[in-house]
Amino acid sequence: MIRISDLSVHFGGVVALDNITVDIKDDIVGVIGPNGAGKTTLVNVLSGFVLPDSGTVDVEGVDLLSLAPHKRARWGLARSFQKVQTADNLTVADNIWVSLDTSASPGMKKHAALNRVLDYVGLADMADVPAHKLNPCQRRMTELARCLVASPRIVLLDEPGGGLSEMEVDKLRQVIGNIKTIFGAQVLLIDHDVELIKSVCSKTMVLDFGELIAFGPTETVLQDENVKAAYLGTEIKV
Amino acid sequence: MDVISHFRQESRTYAALGFVAICVIVLPVVIDSIWVKVLTSAVIFTLAAYGISLLYSQLGLVNLSQVALIGVGGWIMLRLNYAVQLPFELNLLVSAVITAFIGMILALPAMRMKGLYLALITLMVAGGFQIIFSAIQFPNGGAGFLGVALQSPGEMRRPLIAESDTAYLRYSIIVVVLGVMLAAAHNRGRPGRAWAMIRKSEANAMAAGVNVTLYKLWCFTLSGFLAGVSGGLLAGALKILDAKSFPAGESILLFALSIVGGVGHWMGAVIAGFLYRVVPAIFNNIGIDADLSLVIFGAALLHAIMTAPNGIAGQLSSLFQSLGRQNK
Ligand SMILES: Nc1ncnc2c1ncn2[C@@H]1O[C@H](COP(=O)(O)OP(=O)(O)OP(=O)(O)O)[C@@H](O)[C@H]1O
Ligand SMILES: [Mg+2]
Repeated sequence: MIRISDLSVHFGGVVALDNITVDIKDDIVGVIGPNGAGKTTLVNVLSGFVLPDSGTVDVEGVDLLSLAPHKRARWGLARSFQKVQTADNLTVADNIWVSLDTSASPGMKKHAALNRVLDYVGLADMADVPAHKLNPCQRRMTELARCLVASPRIVLLDEPGGGLSEMEVDKLRQVIGNIKTIFGAQVLLIDHDVELIKSVCSKTMVLDFGELIAFGPTETVLQDENVKAAYLGTEIKV
Repeated sequence: MDVISHFRQESRTYAALGFVAICVIVLPVVIDSIWVKVLTSAVIFTLAAYGISLLYSQLGLVNLSQVALIGVGGWIMLRLNYAVQLPFELNLLVSAVITAFIGMILALPAMRMKGLYLALITLMVAGGFQIIFSAIQFPNGGAGFLGVALQSPGEMRRPLIAESDTAYLRYSIIVVVLGVMLAAAHNRGRPGRAWAMIRKSEANAMAAGVNVTLYKLWCFTLSGFLAGVSGGLLAGALKILDAKSFPAGESILLFALSIVGGVGHWMGAVIAGFLYRVVPAIFNNIGIDADLSLVIFGAALLHAIMTAPNGIAGQLSSLFQSLGRQNK
């Protein structure tokens, strides 16, 4: 369980996160909100790239904010970035190895973990392809595989569906939807694609101007008047 | 790996082996004694250039203090030579390790910097060593810790198997090949993966659990190690080192030639070493002012920068412009 209390982040005059308090227990939780709502900032705080002005984050008794970013990763917090970040001159397998390198399990298990995750995201026959030859979807999948390979406890995904075709999002849906069952990790999924959120997230939180304006079962949240108002003028397809 | 790329890999390995074999077996036989000396120092500077290339190609970091670190390696090598009766190889290793350590310490404050600022810091380090070297000179067997006497009372020993100049050239080639292989092994393994990820995005590397500071330091340390080996070999080649041989400007020149030669490949470092040492010697030999080689290097650098695939070109050209103004 991720327990966030009184979390606030300011950038100059901008309130990116405003006193967020929430307990995240469910397997896959969605985070939605209009542009600039603070979704990425939340992920950045959890993964250590933004220091909050106040507040605490407690995961299973661990004070997450006290760890350096790379230590959080080794502890079991994996994340992807809004902009895909595969290292172009490394192969798919080597991109994934970067995460394996930093995890503690012995070599033989690592090869097994690599093959398993490559199978899972459907890149089994592309292990030796350099990343610069991949299409956007394959890059996303490589990144997801990197997030999943080292037995994470929490996976934070920042708009993994951005720029993907409908068919590719279908594939993504399957990959994300089964993370908990196959890898045992809790998932926090940011996306603008409400259909994707609806189909995989049992619960969803909605941010607007840094405020948590709704949190609950996805269907209920999407019917919420405040949420509809926040999205007024933008294209939420509820 | 598919068959074709495997084949390419193999043929590349054979090409490298062939090149080394020619250097070790044929070259020392066919060239006369002056050129043996010139070639030896070209080979030695190749290794230091490979260190520059490593930092630049793997992490995009500009190191303008490599020749200063060669001086450090050379100083320690000479110091050890006159202080202890240990084998050449052991002294060489100790010199390289200490130089690597010094390189690491110097890189520490630079860790949070990038691009031009980092380059300027490394240049200041080079300037600092230039002053230190001219103050303390290089040991030549004199008394005390600094070990400087007006006339050298001792002699720099060479390895027992490489007393002659020709043998020492062969010896240097083999040591340099080992050094390049050490760095190449890093590139292919865990550090290489971490470096590639850091180069793509430090944030992403951290998110993957990579200790970014540690791996950057590691690269600096490895580059310093290679400079240290170069310095130690140079001490053995020349037997005495001159404080005037390691000014900051030489570090800039070696960096520039590494870019001209091409970073990220051992052949680029070989070219850099060749340009740095052999071209001026050729000019001397045919009666042209050796400084003219600088003009040619400048043109070559301009060419390299303008056609450089990665976008640090603008940064570097402005760096060299500002340095050029300073030197005037
Ligand atoms: N490093 C930063 N410095 C200054 N302001 C920032 C920084 N990061 C985010 N902000 C601001 O904080 C607010 C929240 O940004 P954030 O990136 O978290 O939004 P988001 O919900 O992820 O938006 P999007 O859907 O466009 O990705 C925005 O107003 C943004 O401009
Ligand atoms: Mg965002």
